[in-house]
Amino acid sequence: MSPDRVQPLPLPVESSEPKVAEDAVPIVLVVVFLILFFCGLVYFDQRGAWFKPEVYVPYASITELQAFQPPTGGINLERGKALYESICGLCHNNDGTGKPNQAPPFAGSEWALGNPNRMIRIPLNGLNGSIKVKDTDWALSMPAMGAALSDEDLSAVLSYIRTSWGNKATPITSDMVKAVRGAVGTRTQMWTVEQLNAVQ
Amino acid sequence: MNYGPLLFLAAFAAMSASWFGFVIGPQAQLGRQQPAAMLGSPVTYPANRSGEARQGLQIYRANGCVECHSQQVRQTGTKLIVQLVELGTNQPALAATLKRELPSLPEAELTRAMEKLPAALLTTSARPDADVLMKAIAAAGGKCSLQIVPVGPDLERGWGKRRTVAGDFLYDSPVLPGYQRMGPDLANVGARNPDLNWQLCHLFWPRSEVAGSGMPACEFLFEKLPLGAVRSPDALVFPAGTDPVPGFQVIPTPAARSLAAYLLSLRADAPLFEAPFSAPAVAATSTNAPAVAPGSTNAPAPAAGTPPANPPKTS
Amino acid sequence: MNEPRPSSPSPAATPAPTACPVAAIDRSCRLPVLFLFVSGAAWLLAGSVLSLLASIHLHAPNFLSHRAALGYGRLQPASQEALLYGFCLPAAMGIGLWLFARLGSTPLVQPGLAIFGSAFWNLGCAFGIGGILAGDATGFAAFNLPGYAGGMLLAGYLLVSISAALTFHQRKVTTLFPSLWFLVAALFWFPWIFTSAQLFLVVAPVRGMAQAVIAWWYANNLQNVYLWLTGLAAVFYLLPKTTGNALYSRNLALLVFWLVLVFSSWGGIPASAPVPAWIPTLSLVATLVSLVTVFAVLTACRRTVRRPAAPVAPASLRFVRFGVASFVVAGLMQVVAAFPCVSAITDFTWYGAARTQINVFGFFAMVAFGAIYFIVPRVAGFECLCPKRTKAHFWLAAVGLVLTVVPEAVAGLNEGLKLGDANLSFLQISADSFHLMRVSTLGILSVVLGQAFFLVNLLTYVIGTSRKWVLAEASAATTDRLKTAGVNS
Repeated sequence: MSPDRVQPLPLPVESSEPKVAEDAVPIVLVVVFLILFFCGLVYFDQRGAWFKPEVYVPYASITELQAFQPPTGGINLERGKALYESICGLCHNNDGTGKPNQAPPFAGSEWALGNPNRMIRIPLNGLNGSIKVKDTDWALSMPAMGAALSDEDLSAVLSYIRTSWGNKATPITSDMVKAVRGAVGTRTQMWTVEQLNAVQ
Repeated sequence: MNYGPLLFLAAFAAMSASWFGFVIGPQAQLGRQQPAAMLGSPVTYPANRSGEARQGLQIYRANGCVECHSQQVRQTGTKLIVQLVELGTNQPALAATLKRELPSLPEAELTRAMEKLPAALLTTSARPDADVLMKAIAAAGGKCSLQIVPVGPDLERGWGKRRTVAGDFLYDSPVLPGYQRMGPDLANVGARNPDLNWQLCHLFWPRSEVAGSGMPACEFLFEKLPLGAVRSPDALVFPAGTDPVPGFQVIPTPAARSLAAYLLSLRADAPLFEAPFSAPAVAATSTNAPAVAPGSTNAPAPAAGTPPANPPKTS
Repeated sequence: MNEPRPSSPSPAATPAPTACPVAAIDRSCRLPVLFLFVSGAAWLLAGSVLSLLASIHLHAPNFLSHRAALGYGRLQPASQEALLYGFCLPAAMGIGLWLFARLGSTPLVQPGLAIFGSAFWNLGCAFGIGGILAGDATGFAAFNLPGYAGGMLLAGYLLVSISAALTFHQRKVTTLFPSLWFLVAALFWFPWIFTSAQLFLVVAPVRGMAQAVIAWWYANNLQNVYLWLTGLAAVFYLLPKTTGNALYSRNLALLVFWLVLVFSSWGGIPASAPVPAWIPTLSLVATLVSLVTVFAVLTACRRTVRRPAAPVAPASLRFVRFGVASFVVAGLMQVVAAFPCVSAITDFTWYGAARTQINVFGFFAMVAFGAIYFIVPRVAGFECLCPKRTKAHFWLAAVGLVLTVVPEAVAGLNEGLKLGDANLSFLQISADSFHLMRVSTLGILSVVLGQAFFLVNLLTYVIGTSRKWVLAEASAATTDRLKTAGVNS
């Protein structure tokens, strides 16, 4: 590869820098662009779900996504929340923190997180006497606030309590409520803590 | 008038539009995403991977596993299957209801359906149709269940139970969804191949576990020691007849273990709002995998001591 | 781009009395441009060799399996980054510097800064590619270089771009040739996208899937905006220059410019990505419109080369024509694959790799070769290209590219169609692809040989003629001094 084998030649005389013609853009390009852009926007409107973060391909909208949600097995946490706020929240507070001298908290409460059979009985028949919730004694009396609720509704409220405000316990199904209702029968007397602790 | 600066600004605006759209936008939406509750369960998804699995992700990244493997399951549609689960007490009424609601189903099929439960009655993509049938069956005293089944070639191939969504990568860094499938998709490999020994053997000598595999052997992740009198408990156990290095025992290095832990943590089987499917049970992990250490999967384990919340519910 | 020009055929750049003679402009660019091109050629050769080794892995799974640094997962990204950051970007910088000087009729300002910048850039590449082989890759396609290398690259680019910006600022022409619009846009776009990617992916990584979206955005903006802008700048300059015709239509060039800026930067998100639906949908809309970009470029090029008036530099023209053809093919492949029904088949197969290769190598690298073969004799001051070697380079590169990508595309389509059927075994489908990839390996080998010829071509200018430079430099300096002193020489 000796450099002298190929003799360096002088460069050709350089013409001026290239010129630019002023012709018009072929109109077909503009037309095609407008058509494609329009089709693209229509496609976005139909399949783009308008920036919703929950909608993934192949779903086209939140409505379509909701149509494919599995049935919740009877536990409707939204209904549970609505019922809670209208029935229980007045004393126990909507954020589950309870009210001093009125009602104990649910958030982090061992009674809310614990044995479902004991938890179901409390609103079914009411609770009387002293109960220890999170190292505090509450000597109050709660009427049977859940006696008038259906199995589904009561299970929804209790499931809401067990899964909200940091509580992470398994939901309560309407079958469980039904079973407890059958077990307590026609009882009208309020529960005490000793009686509840005897329940398995 | 000097159009130069104006045109510069216009060009600047045009290009920065995509920056707003695809950098700032996703950062605001996906970058602030929080873990969400799984369907039918108060447990949130995802849980952070174990430390070993997170280290394994770095091994995955460093060795360029993303060049051949993807971690994205795709979905092309969803179908709803109404299944008859219980006949109830009034079977003639149920039969009449079914004949009325499903006129296109031949008589023989109907009888067979009512004899062998659970039976798929209707497959559709229209929720109202399924709801109508389910209401009618419930009214006639029977019990049915609705299966939500995502469809797509990846799903049919068994590469996952649902499509991959952004939440699957929430705590990962880097996020490597992949762009090429020279090897199978790995989004759900922890559920497909949950055995630690299988994963390690496959990493060392892929053809020992998958005959005819084209995957390069990752021998550098392992130590080969002569097979002495005592076999190390950590040594890999190859399937019969496929021992690639007879006379030696193969010990995985910590890097190999963490990579295997990461692979075992890859699961895409938790039903979510954005990727719904019928869950087998409310409990998060489908855990018949003894090799999976607790806490090393992406889907959180149920709270200790609680029984599975729901017995398999119908309807 | 200031006042609309009259359409009378007056020369676009009548040298004003104070404008610099062309030879002086070229001489001022010599060192930075040659440094960039020669180092680029060296990285290109290295990258091609790495790519060849990676390709062999596909056929012999136990090849080099004892060393982590030589695994497929490290060789493949290393070769890809060597192509992009080792060759494509330095070539783009070199072409940009020369075009800013030539089209602005001014010598290059602060060439020393450009040389420093190029040195930094090469250091960054060395650390980066070494880092990938050592296991520090970030994992993101087209952005695999480790963070420490990224900082050096950015510093290098900023130094070079200061020189380029100052040169542009000192231009002596009143109307901008279209290539300059493209180059100015590219000049500030690369630091923007690179800094964003570094910040959001490496320095302070964002959470979750946002990382992947930003990575896809960056890869698209690098390969389909930055490389398109620079490549088209070179095409729109070289086609008129080598054929002697005028560039067909300032307005068409303007249309292409705006389409690339506004729409091409939104592409690049795969249709099935695990992200909310709006992201891939917007990407699809943008890619659809890029069909117009492709045809606009094709129209401009075809009408420019019609009946060449005074053809010059046929070697360059050959490369550029191949590049434009590849541009059209890559653009069409991208548009076709954007439709969800097609992307369900082509996603995750070799089709994407083929398209990327056609775009980066077939379009940009080939156009860059054409530009380099045009620029290097001019900055060096004499014509010394061995036509046989140049022709060999062209044919080896062209045939190599075709042999590489056609089996990849065919394998990809075959894979995609078969994977749709869940009953077919994945292993069998994969094995079929690997058979086709044997032809690809041959193609890569051909490309490697072509790069070797390319490097030798450039080195003949650098090594063999350094003696002549000193003499020529001294003589030219004397001539300039005499000229400015008013003496006719």
